[in-house]
Amino acid sequence: MSLPDESTVRAALAQFEADLAAAPSLRDAQSVRDKYLGRKNSVVAGWMQLIGSAPADQKKLIGRYANELKQHIEARWDTYQSAAEANLRPAGAVDVTLPGRQPRLGHPHPLTLVRTRMEAVFTRMGFSIVEGPEIEDEWHCFDALNMPAEHPARDMQDTLYLASPVCGESGRPDDRRTMLRTHTSSIQIRYMQTHQPPIRIVAPGRVYRRDDLDLTHTPMFTQMEGLVVGEGISLADLKGTLLAFARDMFSERARVRFRPSFFPYTEPSAEVDLSCWQCDGQGCAMCKQTGWIEIGGSGMVHPSVFEAVGYDPERYTGFAFGIGIERVAILRHQVQDIRLFFENDLRFLEQFPY
Amino acid sequence: MKLLLSWVRDFVDVTAPAGEIAGKLALRGFEVASIETLGDDDAVIDFEVTANRPDCLSVLGFARELGTLYDLPVRSLGASDRTRTLDTTVGSNDSIRVTVEDTELCPRYAAAVADITNVPTPPWMVERLHAAGVRPISISVDITNYVLMELGQPMHAFDINCLDGGEIRVRRARHGETIDTLDAVTRTLDSDMLVIADAKTPQAVAGVMGGARSEVSSSTKRIVFESATFKPASVRRTSKKLNLKTEASSRFERGADVNAPVLGLQRALALLQQAGAGHAHGKIVDCYPHPRTPQTLLLRRSRLARLLGLTVPDLDVVRILEGLGFGVAVTSDGWMATVPTFRVDVSREVDLIEEVGRHYGFDRLEAAFPPMATATAPPDPRTARDQRVRHVLLASGLSEAVTFGFIEEAAAAPFAASSEGASLVAVANPLSAKFDTLRPSLLPGLLGAVAHNRRHGRREVALFEIGARFTPEAGETRGVAIAWTGAANSEHWSAPPREVDFFDLKGVVGALADALDRTVHIEATERAFLVRGRSARIVAHGVEHGVLGQIVPPLAERAGAPAHDAVYVAELNLDSIAALVPERRDAIDALPRYPSVVRDLSIIVPDALPAEIIRDTIQSAADTPVAPLAAIAFFDRYKGKGVPDGSISLSVRLTFQAADRTLTDADVQTAFERILLALVREHGAVQR
Repeated sequence: MSLPDESTVRAALAQFEADLAAAPSLRDAQSVRDKYLGRKNSVVAGWMQLIGSAPADQKKLIGRYANELKQHIEARWDTYQSAAEANLRPAGAVDVTLPGRQPRLGHPHPLTLVRTRMEAVFTRMGFSIVEGPEIEDEWHCFDALNMPAEHPARDMQDTLYLASPVCGESGRPDDRRTMLRTHTSSIQIRYMQTHQPPIRIVAPGRVYRRDDLDLTHTPMFTQMEGLVVGEGISLADLKGTLLAFARDMFSERARVRFRPSFFPYTEPSAEVDLSCWQCDGQGCAMCKQTGWIEIGGSGMVHPSVFEAVGYDPERYTGFAFGIGIERVAILRHQVQDIRLFFENDLRFLEQFPY
Repeated sequence: MKLLLSWVRDFVDVTAPAGEIAGKLALRGFEVASIETLGDDDAVIDFEVTANRPDCLSVLGFARELGTLYDLPVRSLGASDRTRTLDTTVGSNDSIRVTVEDTELCPRYAAAVADITNVPTPPWMVERLHAAGVRPISISVDITNYVLMELGQPMHAFDINCLDGGEIRVRRARHGETIDTLDAVTRTLDSDMLVIADAKTPQAVAGVMGGARSEVSSSTKRIVFESATFKPASVRRTSKKLNLKTEASSRFERGADVNAPVLGLQRALALLQQAGAGHAHGKIVDCYPHPRTPQTLLLRRSRLARLLGLTVPDLDVVRILEGLGFGVAVTSDGWMATVPTFRVDVSREVDLIEEVGRHYGFDRLEAAFPPMATATAPPDPRTARDQRVRHVLLASGLSEAVTFGFIEEAAAAPFAASSEGASLVAVANPLSAKFDTLRPSLLPGLLGAVAHNRRHGRREVALFEIGARFTPEAGETRGVAIAWTGAANSEHWSAPPREVDFFDLKGVVGALADALDRTVHIEATERAFLVRGRSARIVAHGVEHGVLGQIVPPLAERAGAPAHDAVYVAELNLDSIAALVPERRDAIDALPRYPSVVRDLSIIVPDALPAEIIRDTIQSAADTPVAPLAAIAFFDRYKGKGVPDGSISLSVRLTFQAADRTLTDADVQTAFERILLALVREHGAVQR
């Protein structure tokens, strides 16, 4: 074996580098290191053995080369080892890409989503949310709302009656409920009977009509009716309130249009149209090219209604409005068939976020 | 109401195109169903007329609306050649004797006699009737229909030879009397109904339909035109009872103009003459014993501005009211308006305000906002309560359902509170048997929803609903119900799936009670709709607030779910639970200052022994100041090898803690032994 020189050191280092690169694992790399630095049979050990038989002037030189090689390899090994260990999968490692144990969340009903959102909008405007019974008496549902006994709206075609009366929540023997409420206006009557103006409420709830089930009708649907009573409340206030609602609920650019109409409990009465929020009134499929979307009915509370609950119609005026929650949900979520709301198909419900 | 533009131009010189007219009237209270263009400058616009405006079920009514809209003068009936009326005078007529027996139901009855020849109806009249949607029949009937469409006054023609005694008696029908109406149906009448009779029998149902016997035929030589006013409520009741709606009845039941009957006859007679079909015979008979004085209403300027939130110029107020036919006199603070008799809907100042607002234009309203005079009133507590319940259930993995408040009786009956089946609220007039009963429970609806999803291939269905339930005893109460079938947890690679069981439901019920801050207990019970041994009731202070358990398979199957499905349900009365006293006080407890000591206890007890009883035994045995027991937890329950048959091994973790000192081992040991002793003594427990 020839004595090492500078080129032998360079060659040994290059060979070490090549061996290291070829090592498939850290353990193999360890053997490579041992091959060069180990106590026995390693390159460095071999060089050290040469010192004994080498000429005296070479002994020191060989020791220096062996040491040089050793230091280079050790330094290289340190960086190699820490890099390799950093790449190692630590004990207890998990595959973070596997599915987690996710708590199952349910999905709220779209009618609840719309109702809650409308409640939030009106609450911001100072309205209180008021609820009331679904089975009613005719006085609260009709008479007090300026629909006397002979009024066409009381026809059997529209109203569902109970086969025999049921006692109301007051428990009083004269509190007999005979029908399913046809609108939540009955809640407003109950509220006015127990509160004095000023009043600012919305009354959400389910209502019932004697309607067949089809694409656009159900015998049960959900309404939200609003009532504001005070001194000097005007039709302009109604317009502004509905405008604020529309801008919060649908579009900042929404506009409100009143079309005169007829409801027994309001005078003047108006249908409420909102500028279509999809096309901003330009005309599109959703608004059937009219630029407007009908959203509900409204008007100034009829003086007879105030008289029925014992308010002075000379002193107080007020407005009322009613919005169909299904109608809003249909428009917002582009639901083609109203029956979807009542089938409770999870494939439908799961499309609404928790 | 199908309005032919060329017809309305007989009364007002409106030149605007149909599209514009339709668009403008749509913003003044008349929704447009359709527009049909006829030739160059004519069209039929089909307007929807609201129930309060019977006056607009006529050409003349729309003439007034258009005159007001375009500020054009309106010619009254008879004022032009095209709308000629005959000025036949009112008096007695020897060809007919008219007696009104019930002037309340018939405030005015006018009749005219005419000799006719059977000629074809003139083409111009046929065209107009067609346009208005009326089928031409014969000259005399066509004339009555023409007047109906033009003036809004329903009329009828009798063959005078068919009137027994040459007499007309307006009277109530006798009970059981019958009439064959023009639609060839024999109708039985009662004494609430008003009829037009001759000396003997009814010849017409007043305001609804004529009779076949006195119908005008091609051989009729002399007729009587009837033109009357009937009480709206009476016509409505009669039309409803007979299930017979006609052009006449729909006008009378909304209210007809008491001043139109004679005018209608004068117009009909002119049309008869114009068509060469006959002429009047004698005077018009007019029974109008109590002439109505027109109503006057004060419209205050201040009230108008205040209600609308808009100042309407005086000139516009007068223009609009006069245009619509009101008489207007200026007063110091507004106007005194005389209401025309055709405006049966106007009876208060506010009605005038609507008319002014409607025609001045709601689009001129500036948006305002009602000022807050006081703080917002507190809301209904149920809204927030329901929202809390909803969030707990959604977070528990259940989705929200909404089902109908009425169901079919067969689906409701198994859930009625009592087994007699008397505890249901029936609907008197259901549209179908599917909706004939108010739900006594939310469960039948939810079961239906579960079945729907199972039919569409869903294995896991977890639903809840919050809503009203109805029983004759409790009336209306609001509850929440849960229905759950399939896996209890989401599928995961780390463990096999587990089917939902009783304790999943019980856990959710517990979470609900916790969220509502009310204490409830679960105890075994039996219900016909729940599987025996897997049914329980939710109780507080001995009062039941709900039930939970597994639905009996035949009921699930009946709802449409596979019979082998295990469907677990729970239902709680939210109203009664909310009425309980909350569990927690507002003031908090100080945090414990001394450490607690935990001891585990394993015993063998009979497996039929309810855990609740063991808990009670431990609780009462631990009732000692030596080492207060702070918590009991059952953490293992084992049955099998090493445990005798009929027994279980139960492991209980006992936590002792005192508020005022650190417990010594001796204290805890004393308490522990007392507990063990009690379990041995009362339940024959054996410590493992």
